[in-house]
This record gives sequence, C-alpha cells and structure tokens, in this order.
Amino acid sequence: MPDGREPTKALYTRLYRTLRLIRRSQEALIEAYHPADEMRCPMHFCLGQEAAPAALSAIIRPNDTLMSHYRSHGYFLAKGGSLAAMIAEFYGKRTGANSGLAGSMELSYGPTRFYSGAILGGMFGMAGGAAFSQKYNGTDDITVAVIGDGAMEEGIVFETLNLATLKKLPILFLCENNLYAAYSRIEDRSTSHTLVPRVAPFGLATDTFDGNDPILLYRSLDAAIERIRRGGGPAFVEIMTYRICGHVGPEDDDVIGYRTPEELAKWRTRDPLPVMRAALIQAGASTAELEDIDSSIEREIIAAFDAAKKAEFLVFEDVRKFNSSGSYDPVVSRFGATGVSTFDGAQAETKLAPY
Amino acid sequence: MPETLSSQELRGASKGKTTRLSFGQAIHAATRQAMELDPKVFLYGIGVDNAAGIFGSTKGLVDLFGRERVFDTPLSEQALTALAAGAANAGLRPLLAHQRIDFMLLTMDQIVNWISLWRFKSAGKAHMPLTIRAIVGKGWGQGPQHAKSLHTWFAHVPGLQVVMPGSPYDAKGLLLASIFSNDPTIFIEGRSLYSMEEEVPDEPYFIELGKAATRRPGDDVTIVTFGSMIPTVLQAADTLAKASISAEVIDLRCLMPLDMNSVLNSVEKTGRLIVVEPGWRHFGAAAEIIAGVAEVHGMRLKAAPQRITWPHSHVPTSAPLEAAFYPTVNDVVQACRAAVTGQ
Repeated sequence: MPDGREPTKALYTRLYRTLRLIRRSQEALIEAYHPADEMRCPMHFCLGQEAAPAALSAIIRPNDTLMSHYRSHGYFLAKGGSLAAMIAEFYGKRTGANSGLAGSMELSYGPTRFYSGAILGGMFGMAGGAAFSQKYNGTDDITVAVIGDGAMEEGIVFETLNLATLKKLPILFLCENNLYAAYSRIEDRSTSHTLVPRVAPFGLATDTFDGNDPILLYRSLDAAIERIRRGGGPAFVEIMTYRICGHVGPEDDDVIGYRTPEELAKWRTRDPLPVMRAALIQAGASTAELEDIDSSIEREIIAAFDAAKKAEFLVFEDVRKFNSSGSYDPVVSRFGATGVSTFDGAQAETKLAPY
Repeated sequence: MPETLSSQELRGASKGKTTRLSFGQAIHAATRQAMELDPKVFLYGIGVDNAAGIFGSTKGLVDLFGRERVFDTPLSEQALTALAAGAANAGLRPLLAHQRIDFMLLTMDQIVNWISLWRFKSAGKAHMPLTIRAIVGKGWGQGPQHAKSLHTWFAHVPGLQVVMPGSPYDAKGLLLASIFSNDPTIFIEGRSLYSMEEEVPDEPYFIELGKAATRRPGDDVTIVTFGSMIPTVLQAADTLAKASISAEVIDLRCLMPLDMNSVLNSVEKTGRLIVVEPGWRHFGAAAEIIAGVAEVHGMRLKAAPQRITWPHSHVPTSAPLEAAFYPTVNDVVQACRAAVTGQ
C-alpha cells in the first residue's frame, strides 16, 4: 500500500491500464493515419512519455485542472477524457471533444478541465490563471501545468513562475525534459541542460525524477500535489524522459539525423510499459487479468475509431457563430438601462501630470 | 459556465439621481459597482492599488475590496493576461488595467492565440468573460511608445470586442457592460478625455455593446467618430451649425461589434460621409467604415467620403510636433464644408 489509501494491486492495475491505453491508442492512431488520410490535423504522439500522464491519472481529481502542451493525448486521457471523443476530434467530427475545431494540437475538454495548445508558453500562463481562480474561490483544487524543455525557453514561463510563487498559487509545474524541442537538442539551445537550476531561484519547491518510472512518479507527484493542496504553494518538478517516436506525424523522423540511433536504442530499453506490467504481475495480477485489461482496451479503441468514422461534421454556418456569444451575465437585467449621454464636447483636453 | 441572457432581453431606462463625474471618475464608479454586484469581479494590474490609482480610476478600491480582489502585480504583461484568460475560463470576471495600451503589444499571443479563439474552438461551450482596460496617451510628450492607438489591431481579430467610450456617461455604462459581457473585451480609454465631465447616473446602468449613439442629429453630412475624437467632432458640429451646415454625429462607441446599420441609416439621409478616427490612416477603422458605406450607398453618395485620421507616422514628442500631428476641429469643419458645398 504505497500511499496508504489503495491496495497496491488495485493502484497498479489503474496505472497499467492508463499507460497501456495511452500506448495502444497512439499506436492505433499511427497505423490509421496513412494512407487513409481521414485524420487531417498535425498530431504529436507521446510514445515513451506515457508514465507521467498515467501516474497523474491516479492522483488528480475531477475538479482539478490540467493544462498541457500539444503532445497532449496522454494527459487528455489521464484527466478522464473519453477515448471516443479524442479520436472523433482527430477525425474532425462533431462528436469530438471540441466538435472537430481544435484537432490534436489544441485538444481540450471543459467538463474534465483539460486544456492544451500549440503556442506552448501561453497554456503555461493560463494555468496560472486557473490556479488563481482555485485559490480565489477558496477551494482545495489544484492545477497541473505540463511543459516541455523547449517551451521553458519562452519568456512567459518565467513571468508565470514568479507570479505563481508570489501569490502562492496551488499549481504543480511539471516539466518533461525529453532533450529535444522538435528537432533541436537542448545543448544547442541553452548552456544549462536541466531546468530546475533555472527555476529554483524563484523560491518555489523543486524536484527532479526519472520520468519513465510510473510507480516512482506516482509516489513523488502524489506527495508534491498533496503538499500543494494543503496550501504549500507551487512546485516545479522536472522529469527526465524521451520521445521514442517522431516529433510530429506517424512516420519516424530519424532520417533528419537530429539524434543518434544509439541514444534512441538506449531509451527504448527504458520503456515504461514493460516496467509497469512486471510490477503489476509482481503485485499479484494473473495472466488472465492482464489479458482482460489488454483486450478491453483493444475493444475500446476499435469502438472509438468506428464511431468517429461514422459521425458527422459540423457545417460552417453554425461554426462561425461560436466566435462570440453576444451574451451577458444576468446581473445586468437588474440595471437601469440606457438613457442618453448629453456630453458637452467644448471642454479642454486633460492636462497631463506625472501621476 | 455563466448563465447567459441574450442582449435582446435587456430593457429599461435609467432614472434617478445623477452626479457630475469626470471620465476617470466614471470608470472608477463602474468598477466599484461591478465589484459590489459580483464577487467574481477582481481588478489587477501595475499600480492599481497605489495612491495615484491609474489616473484616479482605481484609487481607493483596494481599501474597499481588499488585496485579494485589488492587487498590484509584477511587470509581467504576458503572465497577467494569461492569468485573466485562465481565471475567466474558470468563471471569474477579471478586470486587467494597463496604464498605456502600448504595453499590450507584449500580450498579443495571449490575446490573439488564446483569448480570442477560446470560445470558437470549444464549439461555443467555453466563455472568456474578461475585460482589459488600456489607456491611449496624448499630450505632454507621450511620444512613440506611449501614445499609439491599436484599436484596429484588436478589432481585426474574430472573437474580441473593442469598446472606445467618448464621454463619462458612456464610459460607465460601457465598462459595466464589458465586465458583465461573457465575451472578451478590450476597453480603450483616451487619456485626453480623463478630466472631462458629464452628469452620470448614480445607479449601475448598462449600454449594450455594438450600439452606436447619435450625438447630434443632422441632415447635411454624417460624421462618424469614436473615442477621444468625440469632443473635437462635437465642437466642429457646433461650428458648422453656425454656418448653417447640419452635421449628424454618430459615435460608434464600439468598433466590434460594429453598428454599421446606424452609419448606413444616417448616410442614407445625408448622402455625405466624413469619418474621424483617433488612429493611423492606413487599413484603419475609417477605411472600414467608408468601405462598408460604399458597398451599400456607393453610387448614391453626393460627395466623395473623406477620412480624417492621424497621419501614417509615429507620434512625435515635442509640443509643436504634437500639435501638427493630431487632427483639429478645423480639419473636421473644412472636410464637412467641402463635402456639403463642394468647395
């Protein structure tokens, strides 16, 4: 009972199932992408990086908020998003999480309080606003802001870290250091190759963990989030991980030559899925139980693709109305409304002073 | 998700006591009343809680509402704007104040890539009920980095409302409407208006966004304007009246939503159009208004429409050059006279 709350086998089953669901859904998407070309949006897969979302899925609550980068599929599922709504979104259908208007890069779903986006630092900053609202409303909800080592180079990130620490916001900044921003190595982008030393001077709690060990991550993030939930202020956690798929799209992109085959091979041996599977067997799961989990995931994936392919698209005449609501809070119905301004324009312009 | 009330359901007429307030005091009154009405409203920005209080417009509010709801901030315009977005998405009604609109250029990613399209990409399910106040400097050497007016930048982007009040009465009613709107609003204030006064109702009231006002009725020429050019245009209309030229002054009040119908109806009557814009000439609001009128009335206009705008130049600092830069009452009078008399 690693956290005193849940028997090991039940916990490990949840971690394994989420990890496996993320892995298999990515593989199924990669397989279905070409040559069918029915999913017409840029897609960033998270093969090799599934341990963190799997761990978070067993920690965070429905009322917590999670905001991530565009490599978001794992986090969408971790926050309780439906696989069917995710796949339908990639097919651009009205049954998608965003009715086909966000695609993979901006996959979001209000009811589960999950959001992501493609202009990376912006989401990180918005997460500060989500955490501000949680504190303002006096709740014990928390926000998780997931960022990569690349976006850590954007200015808003440092503004947000400072503001969140100053205001003691209930937020976990989770940085996945996978060594690459698209195809650019961290050594080519900065003289410091880990993020905690850049962040620690702001005065928030910091820590670094192996990002491919789901059980270690579960225990560490659970403790970090519990501290935040109790009003301890923000924390920044850097996890060391690696993307074993291409940056974008279903193809492997190693032809670009931005990383060595040796490095890739080394990280392939650190795959979190077999680690989690072995741990679950160790905790007492039988082969039949594992097969049940695996086959239920396969059925879920097949059903999600079938439903997505059959669903309809929205029509643009309806979609354009989504740009603005033209609506107001009902409080305005209590106002007296418009008389007429009788402004006399023959007044001198304001004479400016220093204040 | 906030409950909503369609704007068509809003009715009523403001009665009761009024007080003579300056433009800055009207902003203050609207902010105070919004915060009294709704605990979800909070005010923040660089300097909002100090004794100067953004030229008086936020002065003393921290004493009334406390530091949780009125707070000073780091000089982090990007994070502050993102904070508004995250808080608004969670159901709060943030009011962020910038002492100069020029600082908003630091925040264009948040405004354009996140705030403006947030509702769109949620398929109409999310709301972004935030208001960003921004002041356009004018006079005493505000210069190239403290006197730009960027209203058209924001009006160009789908999903943003752009409000530019031209009087204290409108400033209060439009700011209350902006704060309680469920859509994101950029509320642009002319610094040159701040000391100008008008009778303003004491009670909270509401001016629907996207409704122009006819500030002077007239028959000979339509002058469309907004924001800090309102006093100049009203003075020009008075001068023209003495020369028996009857100018109808349409105050747009909002660039987005844009009340083109009020403009078209006025030009239908007068057949002549002058647009006076407190901003740069090219690709500006005046060009947009003239294009919209030309599409409907183009072959029936009695005179070529004219723009009176800032020149296509950055704003100079010295007093003589400032005087040469900004359009004057006489510029408006001459343009209207030429349109009506052909001279």
